[in-house]
Amino acid sequence: MKTPKLYFVDGAVPESPAPTDTPAPWTETRVVGKSLPRVDAYDRLSGTAVYPSDVVLPDMLYAAVLRCPHANARVRKVDGSLVERMPGVRAVITGDSKAADLRWYYTRTVFTKLFDPTCRFEGEAVAAVAAETPQQAWDAVRAITVEYEVFPFVADERKALEPGAPAVHDGGNRVGEPEKYQRGDVVKGFAEADKVLEASYRTAAEFHTPMELHGCVARWDGKRLTLWDSTQGVYGVQQRVASLLEMPLANVRVIGSYMGGGFGSKLQADKYNLIAAVLAKLTARPVKLFLTREETFLCVGNRPPAGMRLKAGVKNDGTLTAFDLTVLGTGGAYPTGGTGLVDWLVRDLYTCPNVRTEATDVYINGGPSRPMRAPGHPQGAWALEQMMDALAEAIGMDPVQLRLKNVPTVSQANEGQPPYTTTGLRQCLTEGAKAFGWDAVRRRSKGDGPVKRGVGVAAGLWIAGDGGPPATVIVKLFPDGSANLNMGASDIGTGTKTVMAMVVAEELGVPLEQIQIENADTGTTEYATASGGSKTVPTEAPAVRSAALAVKRQLFELAAEELKVPANQLYIEGDAVVSTKDPKVTKKIAALQGLRRRGLLIGVGTRGPNIEGKVINPFVAQFCEVEVDTRTGEVEVLRFLSANDSGRVMNRLTYENQVIGGITMGIGLALTEQRVFDRQTGKVVNRNWHDYKIPTAMDVPADMTSLPIDVPDPEANTTGAKGLGEPVTIPTAAAVANAVYDAVGVRVTESPISPMRLIGLIAARGKRG
Amino acid sequence: MLPGFGYARPRNLREAVHLLSAPGARVQAGGTDLLGCLRDGVFGVDTVVSLSGVPDLRGIRRALDGGLVVGAMTTLSEVAAPTDVVKGYPTLAQGAAAAASPQLRNQGTIGGNICQRPRCWYFRGDFHCARKGGEKCFAAEGENQFHCIFGGDVCFIVHPSDTAPALVALEAVVRITGPNGSRSVPAEKFFILPETDYTRENVLTAGEIVTEIVLPPQPAGTRGTYRKVRARGSWDFALAGAAVVATITAGKVERARIVLSGVAPTPWRVPDAERAIVGRRLNKRTVRDAAAAALKGAQTMSGNAYKVELLRGTVEEALLALA
Amino acid sequence: MGHDQNDGKGGCPQGVSRRGFFTAVGAGALGAATLGRSQTPGAPPAGAAEPTKVTLRVNGRAHTVLAEPRWTLLFVLRERLGLTGTKVGCERGECGACTVLLDGTPVYACMMLALEAEGHEVTTLEGLMNGEELGPVQQAFLQEDAFQCGYCTPGQIVAAEGLLRANPQPTLEEIRAGMSGNLCRCGTYAHIFKAVKKASELKKVAGR
Repeated sequence: MKTPKLYFVDGAVPESPAPTDTPAPWTETRVVGKSLPRVDAYDRLSGTAVYPSDVVLPDMLYAAVLRCPHANARVRKVDGSLVERMPGVRAVITGDSKAADLRWYYTRTVFTKLFDPTCRFEGEAVAAVAAETPQQAWDAVRAITVEYEVFPFVADERKALEPGAPAVHDGGNRVGEPEKYQRGDVVKGFAEADKVLEASYRTAAEFHTPMELHGCVARWDGKRLTLWDSTQGVYGVQQRVASLLEMPLANVRVIGSYMGGGFGSKLQADKYNLIAAVLAKLTARPVKLFLTREETFLCVGNRPPAGMRLKAGVKNDGTLTAFDLTVLGTGGAYPTGGTGLVDWLVRDLYTCPNVRTEATDVYINGGPSRPMRAPGHPQGAWALEQMMDALAEAIGMDPVQLRLKNVPTVSQANEGQPPYTTTGLRQCLTEGAKAFGWDAVRRRSKGDGPVKRGVGVAAGLWIAGDGGPPATVIVKLFPDGSANLNMGASDIGTGTKTVMAMVVAEELGVPLEQIQIENADTGTTEYATASGGSKTVPTEAPAVRSAALAVKRQLFELAAEELKVPANQLYIEGDAVVSTKDPKVTKKIAALQGLRRRGLLIGVGTRGPNIEGKVINPFVAQFCEVEVDTRTGEVEVLRFLSANDSGRVMNRLTYENQVIGGITMGIGLALTEQRVFDRQTGKVVNRNWHDYKIPTAMDVPADMTSLPIDVPDPEANTTGAKGLGEPVTIPTAAAVANAVYDAVGVRVTESPISPMRLIGLIAARGKRG
Repeated sequence: MLPGFGYARPRNLREAVHLLSAPGARVQAGGTDLLGCLRDGVFGVDTVVSLSGVPDLRGIRRALDGGLVVGAMTTLSEVAAPTDVVKGYPTLAQGAAAAASPQLRNQGTIGGNICQRPRCWYFRGDFHCARKGGEKCFAAEGENQFHCIFGGDVCFIVHPSDTAPALVALEAVVRITGPNGSRSVPAEKFFILPETDYTRENVLTAGEIVTEIVLPPQPAGTRGTYRKVRARGSWDFALAGAAVVATITAGKVERARIVLSGVAPTPWRVPDAERAIVGRRLNKRTVRDAAAAALKGAQTMSGNAYKVELLRGTVEEALLALA
Repeated sequence: MGHDQNDGKGGCPQGVSRRGFFTAVGAGALGAATLGRSQTPGAPPAGAAEPTKVTLRVNGRAHTVLAEPRWTLLFVLRERLGLTGTKVGCERGECGACTVLLDGTPVYACMMLALEAEGHEVTTLEGLMNGEELGPVQQAFLQEDAFQCGYCTPGQIVAAEGLLRANPQPTLEEIRAGMSGNLCRCGTYAHIFKAVKKASELKKVAGR
């Protein structure tokens, strides 16, 4: 299947060798699917886990970056000479420094210098300092004098194409031609409709703001560089850094065994990797460079804003006849995909013969976007799922029923309209509605007083979540029956390590606490792509299973000799190998002489290719209940239920955690989060966690229910699991908007639904209670 | 990242005042606002003068007249704790509880809370705005959704404190010690508008320290509440708020003070709204009248017109909570 | 960020009176004073004042370090004492990742100068362990899976510990309010609420 490139990956990635044989799907599991605490819980809860920002090396320096304070400017002159003599300062690099004369690629073909005189967004790097303490480094950064030539800017994508708008790049503000998609004939479709509705929607730009700051520690040992990097994928960072520094991959080691969240903003290398490496080289000392929280609002990505105009046609029986969507978005100052995947749900979520979409991506003088948890999808859901609600109302149909009426069996947006391997959308909607008590609460009174109650539903699918090659994993079995799992994948908080250990336990019977895990270190662990796209479990778990099976085969061969039973008549029971013919013929793994002599069994596993001619997508439906104070516009989310088809549930506990996390992030999109540019200067005014408001414990309900539609997908991969982390946040904001509408009869088409926005709409429409 | 500075921890008030009289000295109470301002480069500092070593500034005691004296270094958590403040002055306790976050309330003090600098994102950001000695207020033509609808002039901040409106409503008195001795200022006169001086938020002059806040005894039948509306459930300043203290006898409002937060550069008392309920019963109609009176004179900018309607609802809800 | 040149720097007098004054207060045990280095116009900013000897009691042990007045408790804990269980999320009192107990009460270590912590008992995540075993709050977070990436988690755990010391049997609403000074971007609040409830039970059973 053609899957759009979601992430910018340098160079070719190695294809996995085909697996020697494909194991049959599990029919029943003993470990997989249970609710088990994380295998690395102790490390993360005791403080022994060393995150990259925790690394303190002997003789380490601290670095800080001087960033352009203007939205659009040219550096005329940087003077770091005074600064070099300041207390504690050990190195200063600017665009004039030979050591920093490196290229930086924003895309495969668009590059600037590491410190480029042309600064197209506030926060572009201009110079950097290494000093004995971070305080001294910042003293120096503040003291560097820079002469800027400041240019007019454009910070609002809606103004980027106006005549006379300042050009972000020489060619103007269009990022290529608009992306167009069409199937059927929308004119005909609208003509066939009984009701046609049209509305404009907009989602504000969001910031990822993971808890751990972006940054790294760099250390040289002669020609070898080690980076401890807070990243979602060590191999991607290794590739990029090695290529830009023109070093062999073998001489760049990237370690990120623990990392404090990324949500897509840490899928790639960053300038700070190079800056730290250069400063460490110049000073011949380790250098720690972690951005400040404020910097992370400027230059390490965002979820682009999306302006959407959607026209939809429906027959009175609920048959969708046409969708016509136009999108305007921006990835900021460089071509980073400002409208990517915003239209995907309109194209693919519901059965509809006539669909046209057109997406225009423009440049603004803003920080470049990066993929953020289900890129494009929550934005598209905000429009599509509010529209579905409006259509349902227009034809007098229940919104759940309207969605059920249009559940697809084939992926209409993929070429040739191939079927999905599994489509759990129907179960998500029906079982979710039942568990939520949808029918009853829909009929309930909204309340007599000024505080109104309402419920909302929204659905979604995630374009990826299938995973695929490459992935290589090694499982080792020690002679006492304990094991080692070696994989390159980062556990970004989703429980990857736990799920993979469970797969090993499933196949080899090793208790979880006897599995040692090495991960996310290019020096010592196997190749993995970055943890993102909700593909880590469906990518790595089959590779882990394959590695464990390789160990098992060898184990049975050893045991077969000692037990005098054919290898294909053995199985593992607890810590012993047992004959299928006679349970009394058995030997403890630790007692196998052959294993003792070998010292270790090693199994190498790889991820095989995905099925041809079918599409593997996760599906979701969410239901929520809100209370709206019509005198103040305050919205309280009272409860949420998420019904997910992500194939097999690998670990019920971490699964539920992903669900509540996705809902929480979606509530942020719905109610509180938005990037604000100052219209006079183009500077981001809300560059901290007070002014940029992510949800707190007071903003989310305690009552969140995860309802897994636990149907293994045997065609997806050998574990039957599909991705989860992204689908869980796709419909959330739309569900909240629909519930607000149900409560007060006001449709908020622009995010966030803050009291500031809602109170005005309530007053204007006379909905005050 | 914090700039370099010296540090002094004087052991009594006299020493503190002396140290603070030096140019470039800044007082630190809980430190939560000071360190934030220093990090953001809002102002510079040569010496941070910490009050943490000065005895007798922390704690709540009963005054001879039956009121309370709250030491300026008393933390917001202590003010909000279920003690005499909650019993006698719920408006203040609720204001303190509505401020910031639990940890900041454990660190931040009542004195610091009423003296904190504005949260305007231009003032805190790297904009050389009028309040910092610059040429203009960036909010006037800029992103002013969190800015004032009353009392703006040259600068359009809102006062950030949740306890200050309560203190004004409670007719509290702020005790101040400085190089020229001590003085007492009614809370209502403590805060100053931009028209008086748009670079300061209160009457304190160089070397002066808030030492105590005196809460007068409240007549029998006095009730109070603080209603705060914010964009986020914790850790957020008021979009609009109303501190109300009313003495209600035989069902009728005998006297009332209504003071707004989040809408003006100072805690904003609305005498017209007070008059709308005095001598009347609190019911839907009188409350509506009072709320309408509270909005009189509001001047909105491009992004904050919502505050008018929001304030109406906030005042109504605060008053109804006392009915 | 923030490339503003600080104002208010040039005005500092060379200060005979100040220096004299410091002599007076510097002698006492409670008095602590460090001069900001004065600055001549045109020279680079003065930078830090001279480092001062600070003794901090952390998790029952005394540590003496040389600290600049501007060093926060957070910086000293992590970068000087190696107690990296306390995390750095914002350094501006807006996330709670650096929450520690000061005399048993949760505070943000990023919003406290190290000098200010002198004379107080500081408890960090590491101090909540029972030797190599997880403490009751940590155990509850494990059981309820009350974390994902784990970076805000030390702060959440310390905040929960402080909450439960002050209020051993909190209601759900008290838990929500008590935990509202700690951000979790992974969004695990619903599990954190359960974990705090569970911790309250575990502590009761353990009698601590």
